[in-house]
Amino acid sequence: MTPQIELIDVNKHYGSFHALKGIDVTIPKGQFVALVGPSGCGKSTLLRSIAGLESISGGTLKIAGEVMNKVPPRKRDLAMVFQSYALYPHLSVRDNLTYALRLRGVSKAERARAAEEVAAVIGLGALLDRRPAELSGGQRQRVAMGRAIIREPKAFLFDEPLSNLDASLRVRMRKEIRAIHDRLGATSVYVTHDQIEAMTMADHVVVLRAGVIEQQGPPLDLYARPVNRFVAGFIGSPAMNFVPATVVEGGGAVRLDAAGGAEVAVAGRVEGGRRVIAGIRPEHLDIVGADTPGAFALTVGAVEPTGSVTYVSSDDEPEILLVADGATRVRTGDRIHVAIAPERVHLFDPESEAALG
Amino acid sequence: MRRVLNTLRDGVGFDTLLVIVALTYLLLFAGLPLIYNVVISFQHVDIFSLGTLFHPSAGWENYTAIFTDPLARTVLVNTIVFTLASVALQFTLGFAVALFFDRQFPGAAWIRGLFLAGWVMPGLVVGVLWNWLLSGDFGVINYVLEALGIIDDPIFWRSDVDYSLFSVILANIWYGMPFNMILLSVGLAAIPDDLYEAAELDGANVWQRFWTITLPMMRATIGAVLALGIIFTLQQFDLFAAITSGGPAGSSTVAQYWSWQLSFREFDFGRGAVISVLMIVVVLAVALIYVRSTRAETRL
Ligand SMILES: Nc1ncnc2c1ncn2[C@@H]1O[C@H](COP(=O)(O)OP(=O)(O)OP(=O)(O)O)[C@@H](O)[C@H]1O
Ligand SMILES: [Mg+2]
Repeated sequence: MTPQIELIDVNKHYGSFHALKGIDVTIPKGQFVALVGPSGCGKSTLLRSIAGLESISGGTLKIAGEVMNKVPPRKRDLAMVFQSYALYPHLSVRDNLTYALRLRGVSKAERARAAEEVAAVIGLGALLDRRPAELSGGQRQRVAMGRAIIREPKAFLFDEPLSNLDASLRVRMRKEIRAIHDRLGATSVYVTHDQIEAMTMADHVVVLRAGVIEQQGPPLDLYARPVNRFVAGFIGSPAMNFVPATVVEGGGAVRLDAAGGAEVAVAGRVEGGRRVIAGIRPEHLDIVGADTPGAFALTVGAVEPTGSVTYVSSDDEPEILLVADGATRVRTGDRIHVAIAPERVHLFDPESEAALG
Repeated sequence: MRRVLNTLRDGVGFDTLLVIVALTYLLLFAGLPLIYNVVISFQHVDIFSLGTLFHPSAGWENYTAIFTDPLARTVLVNTIVFTLASVALQFTLGFAVALFFDRQFPGAAWIRGLFLAGWVMPGLVVGVLWNWLLSGDFGVINYVLEALGIIDDPIFWRSDVDYSLFSVILANIWYGMPFNMILLSVGLAAIPDDLYEAAELDGANVWQRFWTITLPMMRATIGAVLALGIIFTLQQFDLFAAITSGGPAGSSTVAQYWSWQLSFREFDFGRGAVISVLMIVVVLAVALIYVRSTRAETRL
């Protein structure tokens, strides 16, 4: 089946600045793709290039099998939800929703019916006659969503649509957007700098850094098998601990530069004596009894209970963070013993930062 | 006493003081002359009685004199033509140029600024400039029209009854266009780019974006620009004085110029005041539209 959106070696230059470098992404129909990365990495540029609001300097962009490089935005049949919502301030919610239909010459009665229908989906029925200025942030966000879905476009493009909402509303809208996507069988590209949003919503996550795709794949693959230190640190919260270490003779374990030179068994095959960076996720470290095989000792630096879990960091430099059960009772200065399953320890090359083993 | 001083320094008293100062100024320098103008429109005032405070009452005499004056009809038509043609073309050209500079090509802001050069010139200077351009014998406009083969004989723009008003309109459009352009530019710049982008993705072409986004978003600005344009055009005096002096034979006389002629050429201040009063009524109506349009702003 032809992919709904296909980017082949897409490049974008702003003058001498190379904003997108050789982007290859294939998005099948019905997929929810998240573009994540730190600020300024080119997420919006990539999304706007798909929309046609920016022209690409090289490569090929196909939508539903057709090359779109030179096609103006209005002929691409895509819907976009802007971070600022970009609602038409002079139009009522109803007219905002049906603006695209009006341009296409859809009759007034037909438009009214479509507006009612969409308003029911996004839960805005009572607000159809209001102006955008008379809505709350969350309601505006819904209108922006409604304006996108009323058209049944080839794909939805979202540019950080939830970043102006408060935390609890964000969590709720996350679910709603994904539910609407599933109900419509839509194809969506979703830009966010929040990796949790990307992980929870997407089928396929694309991690960008400085205009380059570092890694792409299903969210859990990125979590379990990051290809380099950047992706490992970016995906997962709280972020992975990175501890410089030396591989011991035989290669079955590493000796950490922290935690008093503790030895930690690893699954990856790396030759003995080599310098590496060990990546240990905070949630993979368990507090265990002193006599557990493979356990090593840490001195507690700081303790941050949140109720559900407690964040414990060691007094090492750099510190090692672990997520413990909320009922854990430890205090600064305590000696604790921790263990990690060997296959969960990631190893990275200190120079290239690529994953090893 | 302390209390009074305190409230003057940081309380309601200070606000009240500011309001009183502004109101006094308005009453003294705008309100009184306005009322006095209305008063003398009902009096016989000539050059000899001008210095005295009280004048003989004239009843509606001045008003009937104006309305029955053989020139009244010409002046009324001239004023309407002058105002509508000036405002319409100043506005349309100003809007077109503002849209052009809104495209933000390199140097756009700079060149746009240059347009203001015309607007900051005194009206009399602009008038002299256009006198040269419009001159029958050696004017550039005749030269160009003749070179293009549009006319065979030079047109004496300023002294031909068919063209005199047109000459002043031409100069006034040139003079007022930059002001329209700048105000409209500000309005255009206030429309967020993402609205156009959203409309584009919704399928709107350039024309549809103009009609459904630009124009409605500019409503308040357009109302204000048109209202100010009418008011300024009704105040335009210098160009008439410099280019045609209202002639020949009143063919380019408009209300404001006639009022001045009656008062300061014929020294019939009562009749001059009548025209002022009538113009005040018109300007007040336009000002009302202006105030309403600035109030009805619908911005997010
Ligand atoms: N019009 C432009 N001219 C020049 N450089 C630009 C332009 N637009 C964006 N850039 C640059 O391109 C890079 C990518 O910008 P982009 O807006 O795509 O970042 P982003 O990943 O969306 O970041 P954020 O999370 O902050 O929104 C940035 O370094 C930015 O400075
Ligand atoms: Mg962005």
